[in-house]
Amino acid sequence: MTNDEAKFLLNAYRPGGRDASEPAFASALQQAKSDPVLAAWFAREQAHGAAVAAKLREIAPPAALRDAILAGARASGGAPLRRWTQPAWLAAAAGLVVLLSVAALVWRRAVPTQVDAQALAEFAIEDTAHGRHGGHGAATSALQAKLSQPATRLMSGLPVDFAALKSTGCRTLRVAGRDVLEVCFARDGTEFHLYVAQRAGDAHAAEQVGSAFMSKGGLCCASWEDATHQFAVVSGASLEAVRRLL
Amino acid sequence: MSNEVFTQLVDAHYAALYRFALSLARNADDAGDLVQQTFFIWATKGHGLRELAKAKSWLFTTLYREFLRGRRRDQRASSLEDLPPGQQDIAAEDVDRVARLDAATVMTALQAVDEVFRAPLTLFYLEDLSYQEIAETLDVPIGTVMSRLSRGKAQLRGALAREEAAGRARIVPFPAAKGGHS
Repeated sequence: MTNDEAKFLLNAYRPGGRDASEPAFASALQQAKSDPVLAAWFAREQAHGAAVAAKLREIAPPAALRDAILAGARASGGAPLRRWTQPAWLAAAAGLVVLLSVAALVWRRAVPTQVDAQALAEFAIEDTAHGRHGGHGAATSALQAKLSQPATRLMSGLPVDFAALKSTGCRTLRVAGRDVLEVCFARDGTEFHLYVAQRAGDAHAAEQVGSAFMSKGGLCCASWEDATHQFAVVSGASLEAVRRLL
Repeated sequence: MSNEVFTQLVDAHYAALYRFALSLARNADDAGDLVQQTFFIWATKGHGLRELAKAKSWLFTTLYREFLRGRRRDQRASSLEDLPPGQQDIAAEDVDRVARLDAATVMTALQAVDEVFRAPLTLFYLEDLSYQEIAETLDVPIGTVMSRLSRGKAQLRGALAREEAAGRARIVPFPAAKGGHS
């Protein structure tokens, strides 16, 4: 084995010795012990790798990410389905027809048709508190302008073109596997954040679902639905200030 | 799987997944979305306790596939011949440079590496996966992983040097005014 060949292999050797027992590295490691030039290269390589790895470990995820993951899982209909793992259930899957039927049933239950309203409200509050807001585009600006007008009542029908907003730069988040748009706007010097999710187009979709309110961590949220969308609006102002928007 | 086990799974892996996602997506919002989407897929596909041993590889694989699915493919791969002379082997200065730079700058340099090299390189530095597991995660042969690690490291050293040089030349601005919401 030449030194170049040894280097090629040792490039994949993780710093810290976690691959020490890996047979693929044995001869290259042996060569590094006996060849001073290769040994010096390997020492620098390992030191460099350890330094980069240490820097990466310093990078912390956003504070709200963990809670958003857990909230998203809850909103998707709960934790993963235990029935898939039970031996008895697996045995019962011997018949293809039965298997397909159950799988279809599980699929319908597991895949959300829309974001749960409470989960959307909880997510909206969490995102307002910790999210990195920012969005752009003509459609976003037009909606912001509409929302900022004192005469606009949010539950009276907002001009939301979901696809256009999303495609032109409106801030888009994922909640329970669904896209949620977020638009910031101001009324009378108070900042509000509107979150919009598309509602499933089922036959039972109501024309308008009344508002619900939630307060958490000094933020107030009102949520409601119309025939096509789910909405949540959040502010650090009073509940009354949020209610006046509707 | 119970909520408790799912929470443990999230706690065990979401930070490393986020770092991997951040290197791929190059911005925090998209990285967070990728991680959230990955766990959502785990939740909705009903992975069970018996698969927990493979959870780590599965999560990294799924995140990578979701990333590939969500962006237009641009897999231009540069070769060692493209690299400036002097960047093909490691020097003591390269090691010292990393120690001098802060974590965000190192991540910025990593994000400058071509994507085809960046994915295996990040997984390598996260130290969670062996080279065989990286090959499985990215669905490439083991030899390809080794080749990409070698080339990726060379690119990263170049990017780190450029970041340091840029940092020296950078003029510190006055604090920006608050704002910037959509």
